[in-house]
Amino acid sequence: MAEATDEGAALERFEAGLADVEARLADAFEGATTEQALREANAKILGPSGELTGLLKLMPRLPKDRRRELGQRANATKARVQEALDARLEALARAAREAELTGPALDVSLPGRGVTRGRLHPLSRTIRELTDVFLALGFDVEDAPEIDLTQNCFDRLGFPPDHPATDMQDSFYLRAPDGTVDPEVVLRTHTTTIQIHQMLKRPPPLAVICPGAVYRRDDDATHSPMFAQIDGFAVDEGLTFAHLKGVLTAFVRRLFGDEVPVRFRPSYFPFVEPGGELDMGCVFCRPWEGDAERTRACRVCKGTGWMEILGCGMIHPVVFEAVGLDPSRYSGFAFGMGIDRIAMLRHGISNIRLLYENDVRFLSQL
Amino acid sequence: MLASHRWLVELSGVDASVDDIGDRLTRLGLEVEDTIRFGAGLDHVVVAEVRAVAPVPDKDKLSLVTVFDGEGERQVICGAPNVPAPGGRVVLAKPGAELPGGMAIAERKVGGVVSSGMLCSETELAIGAGTAGILVLGKGDPGRPGQLARDALGLEDAVYEIGLTPNRPDCLGHIGLAREVALAFGEPFRPPVPGFPSRFVSTDAKLRGADELPFIDDAQPSAVDTLTLVGPRPDVPILVPITIEAPDRCPRYAGGVVQGVTVAPSPFWLRFRLHKLGVRAIDNVVDVTNLVLQELGHPIHAFDLARVRGPRVVVRLAAEGERMATLDGEERSFTADDLLICDGGGPVAVAGVMGGADSEIRKDTRDVLIEVAYFDPRSIRRTSRRLGLHTDSSHRFERGVDPHGVPWAMRRAASLISSLAGGAAAPTARDVYPTPIGERAIALRPTHVGRLLGLDVPEAKVRGALEAVGCAISPAEGEGWRVSAPTWRPDLGRPEDLIEEVARTIGYDAIPTELPRVLPSGRGLAPNLRAAWRLREAAADLGLLEAVNYSFVSRSDLEAARVPAEAVELANPLSEDRAVMRTSLLPGLLDAALRATRHQASTVALFELARVYVPSGQRLPTERLELAIALAGDRPGHVGADGSYDFYDAKGALASVVDAALGLSLETVRPDVLDPSLHPRRSAEVRVAGARVGVIGEVHPDVTDALGLDLRVVYASVSLDALLEAAGARGVPQASGLPRFPSSSRDVAFTVPSELEAGAVEAALREVDEALLESVQLFDVYTGPGLADGSKSLAYRVVYRDPEATLTDKRVDKAHGRLVTSVCKRLGLEVR
Ligand SMILES: [Zn+2]
Repeated sequence: MAEATDEGAALERFEAGLADVEARLADAFEGATTEQALREANAKILGPSGELTGLLKLMPRLPKDRRRELGQRANATKARVQEALDARLEALARAAREAELTGPALDVSLPGRGVTRGRLHPLSRTIRELTDVFLALGFDVEDAPEIDLTQNCFDRLGFPPDHPATDMQDSFYLRAPDGTVDPEVVLRTHTTTIQIHQMLKRPPPLAVICPGAVYRRDDDATHSPMFAQIDGFAVDEGLTFAHLKGVLTAFVRRLFGDEVPVRFRPSYFPFVEPGGELDMGCVFCRPWEGDAERTRACRVCKGTGWMEILGCGMIHPVVFEAVGLDPSRYSGFAFGMGIDRIAMLRHGISNIRLLYENDVRFLSQL
Repeated sequence: MLASHRWLVELSGVDASVDDIGDRLTRLGLEVEDTIRFGAGLDHVVVAEVRAVAPVPDKDKLSLVTVFDGEGERQVICGAPNVPAPGGRVVLAKPGAELPGGMAIAERKVGGVVSSGMLCSETELAIGAGTAGILVLGKGDPGRPGQLARDALGLEDAVYEIGLTPNRPDCLGHIGLAREVALAFGEPFRPPVPGFPSRFVSTDAKLRGADELPFIDDAQPSAVDTLTLVGPRPDVPILVPITIEAPDRCPRYAGGVVQGVTVAPSPFWLRFRLHKLGVRAIDNVVDVTNLVLQELGHPIHAFDLARVRGPRVVVRLAAEGERMATLDGEERSFTADDLLICDGGGPVAVAGVMGGADSEIRKDTRDVLIEVAYFDPRSIRRTSRRLGLHTDSSHRFERGVDPHGVPWAMRRAASLISSLAGGAAAPTARDVYPTPIGERAIALRPTHVGRLLGLDVPEAKVRGALEAVGCAISPAEGEGWRVSAPTWRPDLGRPEDLIEEVARTIGYDAIPTELPRVLPSGRGLAPNLRAAWRLREAAADLGLLEAVNYSFVSRSDLEAARVPAEAVELANPLSEDRAVMRTSLLPGLLDAALRATRHQASTVALFELARVYVPSGQRLPTERLELAIALAGDRPGHVGADGSYDFYDAKGALASVVDAALGLSLETVRPDVLDPSLHPRRSAEVRVAGARVGVIGEVHPDVTDALGLDLRVVYASVSLDALLEAAGARGVPQASGLPRFPSSSRDVAFTVPSELEAGAVEAALREVDEALLESVQLFDVYTGPGLADGSKSLAYRVVYRDPEATLTDKRVDKAHGRLVTSVCKRLGLEVR
């Protein structure tokens, strides 16, 4: 009897408990507004010490013949609890997503992370752009020493000794350790030395440019004692002045645009003959656009509409003779230009000093 | 070179506009860099005649001048001390005139008197530098009252500023330029023939010796009618003996006498002409020498004959240390390489450079010795450079004047001096020219012209062009020509020089523009330049700004930065600040950092890729390309700073740049030898594959302190050659395939003494002979609570893999145990 009574009581508790869980199911979860609260509510029912778990522990005390049926009911309830829980979880997740998607927006104006302003120096950038054009035209790019013999810097390039042509290039000389001046070693005054170095090193055909720093004893508003140049030359059989014009015209057009006019006019450099200078249409007042008034007022070209950009010419036979090439067999052309000026023109830099002062405010501008 | 448009038109006979002539000169290779206008405006400025001069009551310095302006009389107040007497002519600016300085002229009342206009000075009209008062026209000056001053005095002109190349001495005078103007317009050029003096000293002596230059050219007898003979002045010579002791330095020297001059100001036209060309007018003798220089480009000199001792002239080299005072008042000392003009008593001029103070023309000079010479250009240049004296004269002689221009210049000077200063010329001048200089002959094949230019130039065109510039052509062997270049063109010496003359004449525009068929060599960028570019780009991509510093620094810069002070020294630096070639990029970058902090920059992140110069013991120093990085100040965080840059930022930056550019990985080890510019406890040697490539570290705080830089700077520098060598040794990276079986990892933390480097622990881990070990990665460094003082914890993740099988936990645990035990034992560590 005690056993029957016990079974009855257990059955009663089981039935009541199950009904209670079923009844509170909806409310228990609906009230939870966070995932945390929901999981706690769930633990009260399904957790190790939860109500449903407690009910299942009654199972051995239930009447044997009903255990199977009661077990199935309990499992069904458990499944419903799980179902309700999942539904509620999903609703909460959805609500959270809704809140994220409609909530406060990011401050998209804040800077990107880990991005700082690095820049190539305007001279480097200009050298790079000029170099790329010449590479595309089939030229090699080579290097030469900055401290060189006067033989390479002047004599072999046809500068006569004691001639005013060397005035154009007042040189820095070196002091030997014993204090004497070596009159035959200079900081190169032009990258034109590349002609000598390359012609001595390799046989024609040659087409080479050399960018680099050069030095002259000049220091004023428009001159810096160190500045950058690119010199280039080509040597082969049958090269003509027409080829010189072709290459340099292509160069200017690639760099400044196809619409820019160019003109060649005679000039003098000891290492070329015939020698010339190349003027390009002023890129500030753009005279080819027909606004004559703008050109008249243009300070950059002083109203001429032209800007001098480089010196050039056919390689002088004395240069070939100096490096042991036969001038009756080979001909060639050469050219040289100041990079500082081109960089200044391209970037609207007004003072050459800015290029060597390394003011970070300037360096980060371009 | 300044050149007057009006004068060029006169000499060339080409009557073309200022712009047209300027443009064509430029295209001919005589680049007109600027054009200065004279006499523009001046619409109401006229010549006027003074009719009366009266004082202004109560105004001492003013006079009331009545002038006739061509239409009527008017009164003007004038403050100048030199108002001429009635009959004199002046220049009047009428009300309504606007002067070049911007002054507008209107009627005004001064001391109760109406002044209707202004009498002008040369300065006010911008036509001269006269300071003595108003411009007073002399007897010989043109201008009727009422005539516009502009027209009467020929004030309208343009002066070209020509950037003349040093090969064209012929264009350092207007005649040479006029020849080019004629060439530019395709007109024949007839050089002017100098008139001869109208007054001669009468003499019975037979003067026509071998060395004499007659002033009257028998070939042009035209002006003989007007010739006046004047009796010689007592005790004044007619010819001065000349001795050339150094004929290689002075191939030709002519001296001519003009007697009885009256030194006075030159007429307006001459003063104005010189003024336009930037030459100060002095007196009628000196101005003539300057005019001839501007005209022919041949410098000449006038001596006061009374002060030429002997009188005789000796052209000789100076004795070492010989001294003389030059015209500019300087006492100068000479070397045995300097050429002097001497008289019977000693030096009177530095040949071709500057006259001496003692023999210059003075107000009381009555007799003049005109010197016209040809000096060796190199000799003049050396002397001019040695004395630091660059004059209009040396400028021309060192470029080479025309030795055959001597008679022309002598006649022109004598004739002008006799007519302007009232002198009488000797019938002949002495002209010592022992070895005449011939014309240079150049062999030219006319077909060569077209072949070099890339354009077919007909033979007739070649001939025409060469003849137009003054060459004479005669046939030579075969198809060739023998071309004689004129003596005024010392730049013509080779066939290519003649080809340029042809190209210039037909115009560079006429030459076609075509690309050559250059077969690319395939070399492209030289390897070191390619590497340099990649490094630069990688550094910039990383956020660094590229600096470019001067290659020369001061010795104290090197010392302050504690970089090697044994440097290549310049013999002639512009200043002590730039006296030696840098041995390191550090001084430049520190300077840039300092500059940045002065501009309140809180972050400095710079790099430079450039050469350093190291004495080699040979004649030429070693030049080495280096890459240097300098970081200082705030490390940029997302917003604002994230701490300050330190050693590890520099290391990371350098590693990243070197990896991105060259695919090299670097390591840093404690240096064997400390770099004195770097912090002894925070610096390292940079190695790639075990080889030293550079240094890295915090710049020594004493160095930054000494520079006044209150930021710590971290710095790294590597040698490009060393990197390239490492890259070459490494070769092309090879793929190793992907693992087929999964890996398994274990973490371990060791408690180690603070001074033990993580690298040593990591190396020990790697060195254990454990077949399953794949990689080791440090993931935490900890010091603080829980650890004894003087120790730190290093935590590593160790990855194991068997390439042939899936690992079991048991195998991994076993291997890990062995590894940890082995390292602990080896380094005496404990597992935390
Ligand atoms: Zn312009």
